[in-house]
Amino acid sequence: MDKILIIDDDEELCELVSEYLAVEGFDISTVNDGESGLKMALSGEYDLAILDVMLPKMNGFDVLRNLRLESKLPVLMLTARGDDMERIVGLEIGADDYLPKPFNPRELAARLRAILRRSVPLAEDGDEAHEKLDIDGVQVSSSARIATRDGSEINLTSVEFELLRELLREAGKVVKKEDLSERVLERKLSPYDRSLDMHISNLRKKLGARADGSERIKTIRSVGYIYTVV
Amino acid sequence: MKLFVKIFLWFLAAIALMVVVIIFVTRTFQTDPMFSRFQRSTRNQMSIYSGTATQIVNAEGENGLRIYLSRLRDLEPPREVNLVDSNGQTWFGEPAAITDSADLIKRTFSSGSAETDSAEDRTLGASPVAFPDGQRYVLVLQWERQPPQSLFWGSAPGYWRLGGLLLTATVLCYLLALYLTSPIRKLREATHKLADGDLQTRVAQKVGRRRDELADLAGDFDLMAERIESLITSQQRLTRDVSHELRSPLARLNVALEIAKQKSNPESAPMLERIETESARLNDMISRLLTLAKLEGGSEDVERVRLDLAEIVRDVAADADFEAQANGKFVEVTTADRCTVVGSENLLRSAIENVLRNAVRYTPERSVVDVSLSKNNGHAVVRIADHGGGVPEEELANLFRPFYRVGEARERKTGGIGLGLAIAERAVKAHKGTITAKNVNGGLMIEIALDAAKKDEL
Repeated sequence: MDKILIIDDDEELCELVSEYLAVEGFDISTVNDGESGLKMALSGEYDLAILDVMLPKMNGFDVLRNLRLESKLPVLMLTARGDDMERIVGLEIGADDYLPKPFNPRELAARLRAILRRSVPLAEDGDEAHEKLDIDGVQVSSSARIATRDGSEINLTSVEFELLRELLREAGKVVKKEDLSERVLERKLSPYDRSLDMHISNLRKKLGARADGSERIKTIRSVGYIYTVV
Repeated sequence: MKLFVKIFLWFLAAIALMVVVIIFVTRTFQTDPMFSRFQRSTRNQMSIYSGTATQIVNAEGENGLRIYLSRLRDLEPPREVNLVDSNGQTWFGEPAAITDSADLIKRTFSSGSAETDSAEDRTLGASPVAFPDGQRYVLVLQWERQPPQSLFWGSAPGYWRLGGLLLTATVLCYLLALYLTSPIRKLREATHKLADGDLQTRVAQKVGRRRDELADLAGDFDLMAERIESLITSQQRLTRDVSHELRSPLARLNVALEIAKQKSNPESAPMLERIETESARLNDMISRLLTLAKLEGGSEDVERVRLDLAEIVRDVAADADFEAQANGKFVEVTTADRCTVVGSENLLRSAIENVLRNAVRYTPERSVVDVSLSKNNGHAVVRIADHGGGVPEEELANLFRPFYRVGEARERKTGGIGLGLAIAERAVKAHKGTITAKNVNGGLMIEIALDAAKKDEL
């Protein structure tokens, strides 16, 4: 059973979510402040953390920032609805996904499953397990789930890793937004949903431009993205 | 007319009137002293003339005297000269030239000194002259009465005086008008700024260190502005806090609802669905309220990035088209000029999105919402037109008010909550753009105009 840590100061909400997710087959622990939340997240006992932004003692962004210094624990952030900045900051400092609060619990469960599936290394005997991609210095190793550029590791979240792998697999070809959403985020692309664009923009920043200043990932307006080949 | 011009002209007129009155009064009441002064000087002059005549006739004889008297006659201002003996016989000059002088001559003979007399149009002076043979004569002069010289007119010093007076008066009036109206102008500017939503406007400092009613007014304005600012900010904070706090129970409600659904029997399922719909509606409303509160709170700190507006318009239109097609409606981008603007992508996107979704909501089935982006005169103009029958003219301006509903029943049915256009307006205003609504071709057209980015901007 997947062990999930919920870091949120709303105790009643934690109780309800625990009850709901227990039925959905998760093993839930809850903690109500940022400091102890960070400690527990670092303990290595959990498979995923649900992190609220507004927390006593240490806010969600600081928890995430500190967590990312030493752990790749997948994190889903609960952001304030209507606050774009929180969403963007959350993804930038390494959240795997976000959900505006109040959220639909069904969607929460679906997102949790998607993140967990991505973060588990693939079975040893699968074709994908040994897949290694290498395009002009950017390498992706599926078995280790590591991406490197010119030999040094790029610190990617699981979504960014999957996005990069999908784009590299079809380097030089346009990958449709719909396909990326379904393959990576495991949900249908809905109108006005800009999370894919935000993940891509973060990935772009982490990859950096080529030596000649051109972007590695280009946007094809209202169609999708392309990893350019030189 | 502008207050400045009014004050200026009034003071100038007052000064002009004052000058006229002073001149008039002086002319009327100061003639007497002026006249006596004039008489005194005439008498002195006459003594000098007669003294000289006596000396000349004694030293050079009668011919010398005749030459002197002729010279005297030719002097300026024009005059007549007679020399008369005690019998009234004229020794020099035209006897007819000087009339009505008999009395004066008699007085002079008896007093033995200079005498003067004046009539309406002339002045007479007489003074005795003694000939060496002992014979006594009287020298009579008659001057034309000089018109009294004007203070300002007719002579160079007069014009200088007039010019100087006018210049001084003008400068003084200008300064005075400026002194009175400049604080009023500043107050007016401040009032405009306050009305435009700049709640931090204060004016007392600008009016300066004066101690009068205008300074008091400026102080009162500041008090008022402060009060308004605190009222509005606290109201905005309340909206924000309430919306924020509402989200916690709503989040719990959503989860509890889902748990109830897990455990429910088929009978209660439709009601639970209904609760979910309502909760989603509440959720949507709260997030829009928060967006609105945030936009009204701080419009100064809008992000400034160069944006391809055409791309944003096409993107949003594509999303809206996708959504609209589910209801048998369409969104079509008719023109999309290349336009670059500076601002926040999120805000502009949400502005266009809100307007577009509103249009899609009201346009009838199987109709098209037209979207166009054109560039003219340094403005990027987005026009979004539906075919939903439009809005009564008098309600057009109210469309951007939060929770404003044109047709109550219609709005409910279509599922709007009356915040979309308000958000769009705030977002556009935060970019110093304008948003207007008008009825065109049986539908509502919303026009968003933004300043196009300058070439070297950012």
